[in-house]
Amino acid sequence: MIAAVDFCLSSPIPSWTILSHSDRRTSWRAAVSPIISAESNSLFQQSSRRRCLFYDMHKEVIPFAEAWSWQKSVVEERKTLIDSNEDGLDALIALQHQPVYTLGTASSENNLNFDIKNPPFPLYQTERGGEVTYHGPGQLVMYPIMNLRYQKMDLHWYLRALEEVVIRVLFSTFGLTASRVEGLTGVWVGDKKLAAIGIRVSRWLTYHGLALNVSTDLSPFKEIVPCGIRDRGVGSIKELLIGYDGDDGKLIDIAHDSLVKEFCQVFQVELCHQPISMLNH
Amino acid sequence: MAMASRFWASKAASYLKISTFNRAFASVVKDLRYADSHEWAKIDGNSATIGITDHAQDHLGDVVYVELPEVGVAVTQGSSFGAVESVKATSDINSPVSGKVVEVNQELSSSPGLVNGSPYEEGWIIKVELSNTNEVKSLMDSDQYSKFCEEEDNH
Repeated sequence: MIAAVDFCLSSPIPSWTILSHSDRRTSWRAAVSPIISAESNSLFQQSSRRRCLFYDMHKEVIPFAEAWSWQKSVVEERKTLIDSNEDGLDALIALQHQPVYTLGTASSENNLNFDIKNPPFPLYQTERGGEVTYHGPGQLVMYPIMNLRYQKMDLHWYLRALEEVVIRVLFSTFGLTASRVEGLTGVWVGDKKLAAIGIRVSRWLTYHGLALNVSTDLSPFKEIVPCGIRDRGVGSIKELLIGYDGDDGKLIDIAHDSLVKEFCQVFQVELCHQPISMLNH
Repeated sequence: MAMASRFWASKAASYLKISTFNRAFASVVKDLRYADSHEWAKIDGNSATIGITDHAQDHLGDVVYVELPEVGVAVTQGSSFGAVESVKATSDINSPVSGKVVEVNQELSSSPGLVNGSPYEEGWIIKVELSNTNEVKSLMDSDQYSKFCEEEDNH
């Protein structure tokens, strides 16, 4: 039985949960951080969900290189723990990026409408799957660093699960009916892609993740063939909300809160806020 | 009738040294050694040919890109030496043995699908000069690997 709750970040009640069997192998550092219950308005504590460290920078615009470096160091640290038969907790980084283009491992220069040596914004060749995409302010980016041994050891399942998070957000919070397109990973409303997904997996540890256009300026997408798909476009939540003339910041907050809630539901985790300084150690 | 054809199929299979009627329906080749990260190694004296297994390619789906190491680099048992990309997910390929890369399969640059179509033959990925032949003992044989796959799929 699951109690229906509003996910509330404003008055967290730090508490200790009984570590489940899988948690006992986690490192001491993770074990000392307080848990923020998803149900801060109720006395009922859900102790059956795996804890997941949460680095929430969704209001901030972070340079791509910095966030990339954080992910890689978290993954390296976990691999070291895994080598000695332990593991750290899963982590989720949420943020916005400064304008940037990123390429995946198989990315083709044909999908760039500019000279690769002279890009309009910084361009990074990354180790994730997928083709070229754009990240910028107004777009919510989520980088889950999950050990799929605790979920399902199936990359396709993981991609579908990331899509599921976004599909649920779009429907439950914005009343938008989104869908998947077989063979074209991502989340679509009509023939416009609202969320792009691209991941890297190393020893079942995933990184990189998803990017959802909330109030993004979509014009930088014209300089590329996004994700290598020529006959479809890119959209954002804002442009699909007919008659919305409210604050972009508010839209971002609403989308973010929904993303976090659906992420916890789909992956059955409990988020545990961490100070950003923990990423820079 | 079905019994007879199954009998002949399994005779043919054992001649060809492939095991069939595996619940996962992925083929496993006898005489190869296997790592728990789903790479195979064909040991020939002091050298090994390495690739990913049928089970691995089946789970990945269509491989669109293979990241190959440079000839001459060192590889370490259990560590990543390259990557395969399939539908927006790029995953590490780990070496089942330690040594030095002496050859890479350049065909994979233009035909990454060989990994799917022929994971044990034309889809080979690298050839390595072993630095420690004892490491081979820690790898699984085909029966152990088949069982390992079954258990993992039921996880």
